[in-house]
Amino acid sequence: MRTSINQRGRRGAAVAAGAAATALILSACGGDSGAGGGGDVEAQDCPCEIRFAWWGSDERHAATQEIIDAFEAENPDITVVPDFTDWDGYWNKLSTAVAAGDTPDVMTQEERYVSDYATRGVLADLGGLDIDTSKIDGSILAGGQIDGTQYALPTGINAYAMVANPAVFEEAGVDLPDDTTWTWEDYVEIADEVSKGAGDGVWGTQDYGFNEAGLNILARQKGESLWTPDGELGVSEETVAEFFQTSLDLMHGGGQPDATRTIEYQHAGPEGSLVGTNVGGMSSFWSNQLGALSEASGEDIQLLRYPGESEFERTGMYYKPAMFYSVSASTEYPDAAAKFVDFLLNSEEAAKINLTDRGLPANTDMRDVIADELTDADQQVAEFMADLSDEIVDASTVPPNGSAEMQDIMERVNTEVIFERMTPQEAAEMFVKEVGAAIAG
Amino acid sequence: MSSVIQEVASTRRAAGERRKGDGRMAALFLAPWFAGLFLITAGPMAASLYLSFTDYDLLSSPTWVGLDNYVRMFEDPRLIQSLKVTFTYVFVSVPLQLAAALALALVLDKGMRGLAVYRSVYYLPSLLGGSVAIAILWRQIFGADGLVNQVLAFFGIEGTGWVSHPDYALNTLIILNVWTFGAPMVIFLAGLRQIPRMYYEAASIDGAGRLRQFWSITVPMLTPIVFFNLVLQLINAFQNFTQAFVVSGGNGGPADSTLLYTLYLYRKGFADLDMGYASAMAWFLLLIIGGMTLVNFLASKYWVHYDD
Repeated sequence: MRTSINQRGRRGAAVAAGAAATALILSACGGDSGAGGGGDVEAQDCPCEIRFAWWGSDERHAATQEIIDAFEAENPDITVVPDFTDWDGYWNKLSTAVAAGDTPDVMTQEERYVSDYATRGVLADLGGLDIDTSKIDGSILAGGQIDGTQYALPTGINAYAMVANPAVFEEAGVDLPDDTTWTWEDYVEIADEVSKGAGDGVWGTQDYGFNEAGLNILARQKGESLWTPDGELGVSEETVAEFFQTSLDLMHGGGQPDATRTIEYQHAGPEGSLVGTNVGGMSSFWSNQLGALSEASGEDIQLLRYPGESEFERTGMYYKPAMFYSVSASTEYPDAAAKFVDFLLNSEEAAKINLTDRGLPANTDMRDVIADELTDADQQVAEFMADLSDEIVDASTVPPNGSAEMQDIMERVNTEVIFERMTPQEAAEMFVKEVGAAIAG
Repeated sequence: MSSVIQEVASTRRAAGERRKGDGRMAALFLAPWFAGLFLITAGPMAASLYLSFTDYDLLSSPTWVGLDNYVRMFEDPRLIQSLKVTFTYVFVSVPLQLAAALALALVLDKGMRGLAVYRSVYYLPSLLGGSVAIAILWRQIFGADGLVNQVLAFFGIEGTGWVSHPDYALNTLIILNVWTFGAPMVIFLAGLRQIPRMYYEAASIDGAGRLRQFWSITVPMLTPIVFFNLVLQLINAFQNFTQAFVVSGGNGGPADSTLLYTLYLYRKGFADLDMGYASAMAWFLLLIIGGMTLVNFLASKYWVHYDD
């Protein structure tokens, strides 16, 4: 292979290659400036086709398709087109679809994003549509209201909680804590004890500092809240610093792995977590992840209340709407979309297929309908959630626009803390500053 | 004056008529390429230039803000961090990559048996390096209990979680980029084959040793190829995305240590719904790459030897 590119040609090729390559990055960020939202579309009658967008795992896709089939059997004049992706891809795809004027008729939403979409006119006012919400608790419904308008309906509820692996506790010779009375100090002590008792390669707990839900619980215990009702950051710098300090204390005391391992476990999801792989006593997770944790570990993982529930002026645990159903403000078929959402929320058929996949059903009647069908882990979740109902003081505030960035900020700040490149106090200052900028922009 | 123009025009027309058939066919065959250029490249580029002067959240219509996005960039500490990361990445990985490529090309140029096989084997990483699968594999290899640490443990060295440590994570990306030396290597090989053997023969008759031959014949004769590879790989490296996206878990972590410029641009546009700012960032990157390439071309006068 004796190629003979002449020298000038080669110089020209370098220029051309450069130009072509740079053109690629620029065009990757273009995009049609299509109008988003706008509720001025005239409603059409069916037969019709509506698109339903959701995120999730393969099991959820299969189950949702089953629900769609059941709906179509009942409503032969409506066809529901499925449109699903994983969590990260979902938001990129949805924002791009809205920008292109191609908003799905029905979509699942999440609390960190719902305000962004609602205030920009993408979501329809569900109060004006024929959807029965009488079986959903008012405080949970409020999670989908922005400035008094119902833009989203909660599918179900979750709680952020501590999970414990009884096998690891037993191995370490430590008793499971009494979660109604344990303090934050107890949490650190118990984690250290488990690490010491269980030996090398087993730790007391996994770092909680990557998720703002834990911070929200601590803030609520102290009479603060992650977000204020008027869309400001509601947690004080002192509380944030205290939150990170606990994490640092755990690392220094041995209750928690070193920083690099912490990052690796963080990226491994529930299945690869300390508790999920039987090398850790405790972790923080959403209640609907209990099933995945139990299955991965093969143990009977227990849900515990967060520490400090009886330590301060009030309790901090709360119900989080697992996700929401929303309808596009620009759908041509609002009645068909409403009928479908009503089916998702209120039909026994849909509830029996969905079970607790989208949280413990928000519709309280449906909790009884599915009670007999639940696995042991889901049964435990249902009981845990029922026990909490008397203790929960109020609903957590709906996060404001820009709050989706908090997850990212939290992860960065916590990384700075555990690698000790920042003190908890400096980290708290950075956190408050960056979150402030995110919700202002 | 006008008669001259008419005359020229009529000659042109005559020439045009003569070759009309050819012109139409040419246009027909070029059409797909033009369609691609205008619809897929030029159109979106123009749109992104416009968007870079707007506040655009993807969900509602863009509003004109003038130079705001560009001004904001100078006050954005994360943007500055991403530039630091990107420049480190580019200026460390590209020279290393080219050195590796040249070294292997020199070995393979000896004309050993099974050359085609070796060439393919070494080229393979270039094809695979940008893939998600390799990036995931990288996470495993450089993990706390990964292959690298197992090898280190054999020598009694205690490693760390290379991918998860802010001080080392970028190095794993640099190594990954160096590893994809196959494409420049193949070009170097072609270049080496072009150097007339008689130069070497003449030099060895004059008593020049191997090293002397390398520095006095191979290197100067190869400079156009080095230059070509340098320009190409610099531009490529500035735009690398997939590896950093997967290895860092999508957000340039830990602690922004792998926040390549393109990754930050993507997050701004699609995760933070700040597409106006992201568009401005894209144009700023064009300026950076254009500037780098210009400097490269200007500097090439002093070290690239064309034998024409």
